[in-house]
Amino acid sequence: MSDEKASLEKDLIRDLAELLRETGLTEIEIERKGLRVRVARSAIAHPSALVPAAIEAHGAPVEANPTTSNGHGDPSDHPGVVPSPMVGTAYRAPEPGAPAFIEVGATVSEGQTLLIVEAMKTMNHIPAPRAGTVAQILVEDGQPVEYGEPLVIIE
Amino acid sequence: MFDKVLIANRGEIALRVQRACKELGIATVAVHSTADADAMHVRLADESVCIGPPVAGQSYLNIPSLLAACEITGADAIHPGYGFLSENARFAEILEDHGITFIGPSAQHIRLMGDKIKAKETVGRLGIPVVPGSDGAVTSDAEAHKLAEGIGFPVLVKASAGGGGRGMKLARRAQDLPEALATARAEAKAAFGDDALYIEKYLATPRHIEVQVIGDGAGRAIHLGERDCSLQRRHQKVWEEAPSPALNEEQRGKLGNVVASAIGDLGYRGVGTIEFLYENGDFYFIEMNTRLQVEHPVTEMITGLDLVIEQIRIAAGGGLSFAQSDVTFAGHAIECRINAEDPQTFAPSPGKISYFHPPGGLGVRVDSGVYQGYTIPPYYDSLIGKLIVHGKNRNECLMRLKRALGEFVIDGIKTTIPLFSSLIAEQDIANGIYDIHWLENYLETS
Repeated sequence: MSDEKASLEKDLIRDLAELLRETGLTEIEIERKGLRVRVARSAIAHPSALVPAAIEAHGAPVEANPTTSNGHGDPSDHPGVVPSPMVGTAYRAPEPGAPAFIEVGATVSEGQTLLIVEAMKTMNHIPAPRAGTVAQILVEDGQPVEYGEPLVIIE
Repeated sequence: MFDKVLIANRGEIALRVQRACKELGIATVAVHSTADADAMHVRLADESVCIGPPVAGQSYLNIPSLLAACEITGADAIHPGYGFLSENARFAEILEDHGITFIGPSAQHIRLMGDKIKAKETVGRLGIPVVPGSDGAVTSDAEAHKLAEGIGFPVLVKASAGGGGRGMKLARRAQDLPEALATARAEAKAAFGDDALYIEKYLATPRHIEVQVIGDGAGRAIHLGERDCSLQRRHQKVWEEAPSPALNEEQRGKLGNVVASAIGDLGYRGVGTIEFLYENGDFYFIEMNTRLQVEHPVTEMITGLDLVIEQIRIAAGGGLSFAQSDVTFAGHAIECRINAEDPQTFAPSPGKISYFHPPGGLGVRVDSGVYQGYTIPPYYDSLIGKLIVHGKNRNECLMRLKRALGEFVIDGIKTTIPLFSSLIAEQDIANGIYDIHWLENYLETS
């Protein structure tokens, strides 16, 4: 992409981020000239967003401003949300290369391991608080999580 | 120098540390409970990690959670602020084991000064004056009498197993001593299961004067003058000032040098405060706090030094960046601790701040993390900010304080601002004539 185009996109994203802050919205998505851009307040990674690293910083541990405004669709409001009971790194599988504990659509029973949150070399299994179906998995493998961060939604 | 510091605290002191880190170009991590997600320092920090629910034991005191937060953010040092884990030797050791720098003194010194009897013995050996008393428990009434005569009446008969103001009996004259000993012994046995007693000189109207020190951990220590913190309510400081209106230059210099020399000999690293009771020209050591204190700003205002920056520099291995001869004192400073409390009943008043207008102008400093629209959580102490003023002399300081209090607006909750407005109208305060009982007497009679 040319330098000029890249800097126009950066400006666009900056403007959208400013708009988010001003209006208190949790996400804005626009599409123009063949470019679709989605800027969101939460730390959820979205595969369809063509967003350069400026807003969703990969590898950056936790977003600087944890969302406090509960806009429509905020996962922590969902009755089936499973929040993290601790600070650490979330893993989808028991070990690298092994199949993930759960996938979206899986049926889980109460107490079944959903994820591991690791802190200081201790692996903590996160159990399903109730039986149900996995509706959403909100973290990526190896993503740092904080206390209370929504991990999974079980319906 | 550190790349990233994790601030293991909340409220105004977390913001204070955030500011120092920013001025040193250090990245910051703010950890917070769920109740503090909206705190100002959390908003300003480069990163934040929620470490637990509101209860301090599961968040701010949660060592595994703090360590995990360091791990996921890559912080290489932790600043513990004051309170919470700042004087927890085990925490300092654990951090060391994990290769994270604890910004403070060694675990050994934290432990030493945390044991009040050992602390007294240690500083006594180092040449710091202590409250005269028996060395340990008194073994017989005869010994007690002999000691008391030597110390001079009145004396306090104290239970070794007591503490926190409990288990103390006053003997005003020699003829009061037998009864004081007998009662104290019986009560100690009943309350603590241990009837061992010791004796200390009783100070009737002392002032609380403390000395700020800073050491490089390699044998050098400097004093940064004293603070007078006599105005207290239920042993909580309310108003502090530097320098103390009660001391002259000679006393100040002598005290500072004795303390600095002792702390240097100890090999102490970082900032610390040695607290004394002062009466009739004599100083008596009470305790040493091995951390930054709430009232550190008054020292900063008269010396021009940033104590938190110095703490961080020393912890990063930079040593002391100045000598005692570089330290100068200019003017006078007063700090008022503003609590979210009813100014008369002192009942806590958490809630939403509907209007906030802090004072400004030359020589006015407000250290506070609150802002308009902020809701003060009910789970923590009620300190919401400190108003610090500086003037060329104490009178100018008082005038400035009066002016600043008149401009300070905090609506939506009750605060103790009106208390300070009343205090500055008092003759004794204007003259700097007060002791550690003054404020409670004033509150009782008004």
